[in-house]
Amino acid sequence: MTEKKKIDRALKLIAGLSIDKSSQVLSKMIKMGASIEMRDVYMADISQLTANRTAEDEKEVVGAFIDLVGDAPFKFLFYVSADDSLVLTDLILRREVGTSKEFDLYSQSAVQEIGNILASAITNVFATDFQISMRPSPPVVVNDYASTIFQEYIMSAALERDEILIIETVFCVVQQDISCRMFILPMQESEKILNYIVSTM
Amino acid sequence: MGKKVIVVDDAPIIRLMLKDILEYNGYEVLCECANGQEAVDQFKALQPDLMTLDIVMPEKDGIAALEEILSIDENAKIVMVTAVDQRESLMKAIRAGATDYIVKPFENDRVVSAVKKAFGEE
Repeated sequence: MTEKKKIDRALKLIAGLSIDKSSQVLSKMIKMGASIEMRDVYMADISQLTANRTAEDEKEVVGAFIDLVGDAPFKFLFYVSADDSLVLTDLILRREVGTSKEFDLYSQSAVQEIGNILASAITNVFATDFQISMRPSPPVVVNDYASTIFQEYIMSAALERDEILIIETVFCVVQQDISCRMFILPMQESEKILNYIVSTM
Repeated sequence: MGKKVIVVDDAPIIRLMLKDILEYNGYEVLCECANGQEAVDQFKALQPDLMTLDIVMPEKDGIAALEEILSIDENAKIVMVTAVDQRESLMKAIRAGATDYIVKPFENDRVVSAVKKAFGEE
C-alpha cells in the first residue's frame, strides 16, 4: 500500500469514528435521530474544486467555521440551508417545528452550537482513540451562498499547497427533511501525526 | 427569592436554554455574559451565588475567567459547561477549583442536579 493510500485509510478511519460520535451528540442535542454518512474522502486540486461546485451550492446557507488546533490541526466546516437552520433551532429549543419564522440571533447561534458540538466530538475521538491532544476554536458563523462559504473554507488552506484532502459528509435528520454538510480538512502540519496513526494500524 | 445565578456562554441559544431551565427550577438569573471578561466583570458587580461558565469562548476563555474569579473569591461556586467530553480542559478546570461540570448537549435534569449539588441541596 502506498503512503498516500495509507494516509487516506487513516483519515477514513478517523472520519468514520468522528461521524459515529457526531451522530450520537447531534441526535441527543435535537432529541431526534440524526444519521451522518461519509460522502467522500478525496484529494482535490484547489483551482478545480472551487470551479466544480453544483447548482445546489447556490443556495443560501448558514455555516460555522472552526479551527481544530493542537497536535494535528484540521479545519472544520458545517453548513445547513438558512431555512433548515430554523427547523434545527426549534428542535434544539424543544419547540414545535415552525415556531421560528425568521433567521435571527438564535438560529445563528443554533448553527454555531451544532458546529461547536460536532467539532468537539471530533477532537474527542482524537483524544480518546489516538491520544492526540486537540481543541476547537470558538466557531465563526457566516451566512452566505454555499459556494462562497465553501470557497472561503478552501482558500484558508490554499496558502499552503495546491492540493488538499477533503472529508465530505452529508447528514440527515430523521422525520425532518434536513440535509447538512460537514467538511474536515487536515492541514499540512497534520501529516506527521497521520503517519504516526498509519504506523499503529 | 431564589438563589442568584449568572449564565456565561458565547452561544445565545445555550444561554437561553440554561436560563429557562434555571428559572423554571426557582433560580434567579441575574444576567447573561458572552465571554470570560464579561463574566469576571459581572461577577465582581453582581456577586452571584453561582455561575455557569462555558469553557471555549472568544476573548477570554472559561478557564482563564474561572482562575480570575477564584482569585477574587476562593469560595465562588462555578459550574463549567463544555461541549462533549473535553477531558483535558475539564481536568484543568476541576484542578483550578470548579465546583462541577456539565457536558453539552445536556439534559435539563443534569443542569439542575449540578446546581443543586453546588448548593448542597442534593
